[in-house]
Amino acid sequence: MIFNTPLFFAFFVVFLLFYGFVFLQRRPRVYFILVASLVFYGAWNYAFIPLLVGSAVLDYFLAQAIAAAPAGRRRKTLLGISIAVNLGILAVFKYADFAIGSVVDFLQLFGYQASVSSLELILPVGISFYTFQSMSYTIDVYRGDMQPRKGLVEFTAALAFFPQLVAGPILRARQILPQFHKLPLPTWVNAKHGFLLITVGLMKKTMADLLAVPAAAAFDAQGPISLMESWTGVLAFAGQIYGDFSGYSDMAIGLALLLGFQIPLNFRLPYFAVSPVDFWRRWHISLSSWLRDYLYIPLGGNRRGNRYCNIFITMLLGGLWHGAAWTFVAWGAFHGALIGVTHKLGELRLFAPFAHSRSLWIRIFKWALTFYLVLLGWVLFRATSLEGAWQMLVTLHSFGAVLPSPSHGAALVLGLTAAALLVMHLVDYGVLQHGERLAQKPWGFWPALVTVQALCLMIGEPSSEFIYFQF
Amino acid sequence: MNLSTSSSERALFARIFLAILLGMGAALGLVRLFHVSTGITADNFLGRVLQAKAALPRITRESQELAMFFGSSMVQAGFSPRQFDREMAERGMPVKSFNFGFGGLNPLFQDILSRRVREQFERDGRRLKIALIEFNPFQATITRRNGAREAEETMLAILGTPREFLRVLMEDPERGVRLFNIRYLRDGISAEAFTSFVAGGMAPPRARTGIPEDEAAQSRRRELDKILDRRFEEDYPDHEDERWHYGWQGGGTIPAERSAETLALFDEFYATLRTEHRLDDDRLHRIHSADIIELRFDPELIEAFIGIVKNFQAISDRVEVLMLPKNGRWIENTPEAERRLAAAVARIEEATGLSLHNDRELPAITPEMFVDTTHLARYTGGVAYTRHLVEVLTPQPETTATR
Repeated sequence: MIFNTPLFFAFFVVFLLFYGFVFLQRRPRVYFILVASLVFYGAWNYAFIPLLVGSAVLDYFLAQAIAAAPAGRRRKTLLGISIAVNLGILAVFKYADFAIGSVVDFLQLFGYQASVSSLELILPVGISFYTFQSMSYTIDVYRGDMQPRKGLVEFTAALAFFPQLVAGPILRARQILPQFHKLPLPTWVNAKHGFLLITVGLMKKTMADLLAVPAAAAFDAQGPISLMESWTGVLAFAGQIYGDFSGYSDMAIGLALLLGFQIPLNFRLPYFAVSPVDFWRRWHISLSSWLRDYLYIPLGGNRRGNRYCNIFITMLLGGLWHGAAWTFVAWGAFHGALIGVTHKLGELRLFAPFAHSRSLWIRIFKWALTFYLVLLGWVLFRATSLEGAWQMLVTLHSFGAVLPSPSHGAALVLGLTAAALLVMHLVDYGVLQHGERLAQKPWGFWPALVTVQALCLMIGEPSSEFIYFQF
Repeated sequence: MNLSTSSSERALFARIFLAILLGMGAALGLVRLFHVSTGITADNFLGRVLQAKAALPRITRESQELAMFFGSSMVQAGFSPRQFDREMAERGMPVKSFNFGFGGLNPLFQDILSRRVREQFERDGRRLKIALIEFNPFQATITRRNGAREAEETMLAILGTPREFLRVLMEDPERGVRLFNIRYLRDGISAEAFTSFVAGGMAPPRARTGIPEDEAAQSRRRELDKILDRRFEEDYPDHEDERWHYGWQGGGTIPAERSAETLALFDEFYATLRTEHRLDDDRLHRIHSADIIELRFDPELIEAFIGIVKNFQAISDRVEVLMLPKNGRWIENTPEAERRLAAAVARIEEATGLSLHNDRELPAITPEMFVDTTHLARYTGGVAYTRHLVEVLTPQPETTATR
C-alpha cells in the first residue's frame, strides 16, 4: 500500500475512525495499530508477515534473555544470535543471488564455468528497515543503553508501525518504544504540522515521479545521448531520489504526528551541504546515524590509525545496504573515499583556512564541489551496471567530444529539472524555518494545503512505487 | 495503564478526521473544477466512442437487420455505412450498418468497448447479421501500446463497469480502488492522462522529413479547406456538431449527397494532402508512434484482439475479420515484419476459427485513394473499399457478373 494512493487514503480514514472513536483505551489501541500495520504490510504480500512478526518475537525474547543474563559470554552469544538471525534474513532474501552471481562471475574469470542457479527469492518490502530497527533494540539492551520492555504486542506494534514500516525512517527502539508505552495523544498544533508534512511529502513525490522521465531517458537510453541530456538525466535523478525518499519520510512523519507519535527528521536540505561529511549529516539521517552508532563506533570509530579504514568499511556496507549490486558497493566506496579525503584535508594545515572559512564565495565553491561529487555518486547509484555508470560519467565530461546534438526542447527540460530540484529544497527550507508560523495562519494555511494537494492529485502518478521500497 | 478517553480527545480526533475529509473533498473539487474549466474531460479523450456507446440502445431497437464495422480510424475513414446499405439492398441483402471505427484506441481499449456492445445486444436479445472487424497491425504493436500506457487506466475507468472494477479490486486492491476513484471521483480523468494531455507538447521530438513542403500546394490546401467548410455548411445547414452522428450511422457524408463541383474540389483537396513532404512526414510519425514498418507486436494486444472477435462472435450471425488496404507506396514492411504479421494472423485464426481477409494489397485501391499513409479518402478510397466489401459479402455468380 503506497501513501499517495486512494487505497491508502481509504485505509487511513477507516483506521483513524476506529483509532479515535472505537478503541478508546491504550491496550486495544496498541493491538489495533499492530493489526492495521499487518494489514498494511499484507496488502503488498501476506506471505511475509510471519517473517516480520518472527523477527520481532525473536528479538523481543532475546533482549529479555540478554538483560537477564550475567555479563559475559552468554550475553554476547545471545546478541550474536540476534545479529546473525537479522543479518541472515537480509543475507538470504537480499544478497544470496548477488553472492551467487558474483561467485559465478569470479570463477568465470579463471575459465571455470559454474552452473549454480540463483534462488530468485522475492525481496520482502521494507526488510532492510525493520531488521535494522529490530537489531538496534537488542544491541541497545546489550549495551545497557535501555532496559528491555515488557509487552510483546507493544514491541511488535512498534516495529511494524505502518507509517515507517516499509521505508523508514529507521527508528531506534529507545525512540519509539517509550511512545508506544505512553501512547501519546495528538495535539492540534502537531496535527497541523502533520498535515503540512504530508502535503509537502506528496508534492515532492509527485515531482519525483515527473523527474523520473528525464532520468530514465538518459540512463536507459539505447544509444549515445547529448551532453545536455546526460546532465539533465543526472540532475533529474538527484531530484527524483530526493523527492521520492524524503517525500515518503515526510509523509511518514506527518501521519505519525496525526496519531500523536514523534518521528525524527530524516532529511535536512541535503543538497545544500558544503562537504561530503555535511551531506551525510543531512541525507537519510536515520540510516547514517544508525551506521555510525552500530557499525562505525564498534569498528573503532575515530581511533587513530583505523579511522579512514573504519569510515570506508562503514560507507561500503552502507552502500551495500541500499541494494545487492556492485554499483551500490561502488557508490558506498565512493562516498567512503570522499568522507575520508574530506577528513584528511581538514586535518592538513594547508587546507585549514579553506575548511573553516566563513567567506560566502568559499562556501559557494564548497557547495558546488560537494553537489558535483554527490551527482557523480548518483550516477553509480542509478546505473544498472558499472559499465553503464562509467559510460555515463564519460559522457558527462565529454565537453567538445562528438556527441548527438540535444533534442529540441532539451534546454527547457534541463531548466525545469533544475527548477524542480530547487523548489523542493526551498519548500523544505520554508517548512523547517517557518512551518510552525505558517500553521498559525489558518486563512492562508488550509487553502495552500488544499491547492497543493489538488495540484498533486491532478498531475501525480499514484501507481509508481517508492524507490526505497526495494532497499 | 488505561487511558480513558475524554470528550476533548474525541473532539480532537473528530477535528483531524474532518480536516482530512474536507481537505480531500476540497482538493478533488478543485481538480474537477480545473478539468471542466480547461476542457480536459472524459469527452476529450473518448467523445466519439462515448457517443457511439450511448447510441447502442437505439441501434438494437432498429427494425432492420443490423451490421457493424468495428475498428480503428482507418475504418472511420474507409467505410461508408449509408453507401454500404444502399448497395447491399440493391443486391438483395438489406441491412442497416454502423461505423464503429475510432481513432486513438488499441485492442485493449477496443476489447472493453466490444464487451459493452455485446452486453447491450445480449440484454436486448438482438444479433448482428454481419460483424466486420478490422485487424489493424500497427495498432497492436509494442510501440503503439507504450504511447498510450498512461491512458490505459483512464480508458478502463471510462469504458469499464463497476463489476469489472470489482473484479480488478479482488485481484489488485490498489488498482481496483484507483479505478473507482478515477471513474467516480475524478470524472474519468486519471492523473497520468491529465499530465500527458497537458505535457504532450513537451514530449521528445520525433524524426521529421527532410523533403521540403510544396508551398503552392500548402497555400491551395488552406484555401480549399475554407471553401469546403463553407460548402459543408451550405449542404448541411441543420447538421449538429456530433462526432458520432446517428443519422449518418457513425460514418461521414457520402458522394451521392454532394454536387459534382464539390466532389471536384475534394479531388483537388486530396491531391494537396498527398505532397511528398506530408506523406513522408506521416510515415515517420507512424514509425515513431506505431512501429508501422517493423510491426513488433505486443502479445497482450493480440490476445485482446481475439477477445474482441469472440465478443462479436457471441452476438453475430456472421463475423469477418479484415485487414484494410495500406498505402503501399509509403508503407513497405520488412521481411521480418511480414513474418511477425503472418504469425499474429495465424494466432488470431487459430483462436477464433476464422480466416482473415487480407485486403492490404487490394488492386482496386491505389495510392491516390489515400489522404495520408494509412487513411483512405472518403470520396475515393472509402467508396471503393465499401464497394469491395459489398462484393465480398454478396458474391454474384460469375455468369451474372459477366452478363
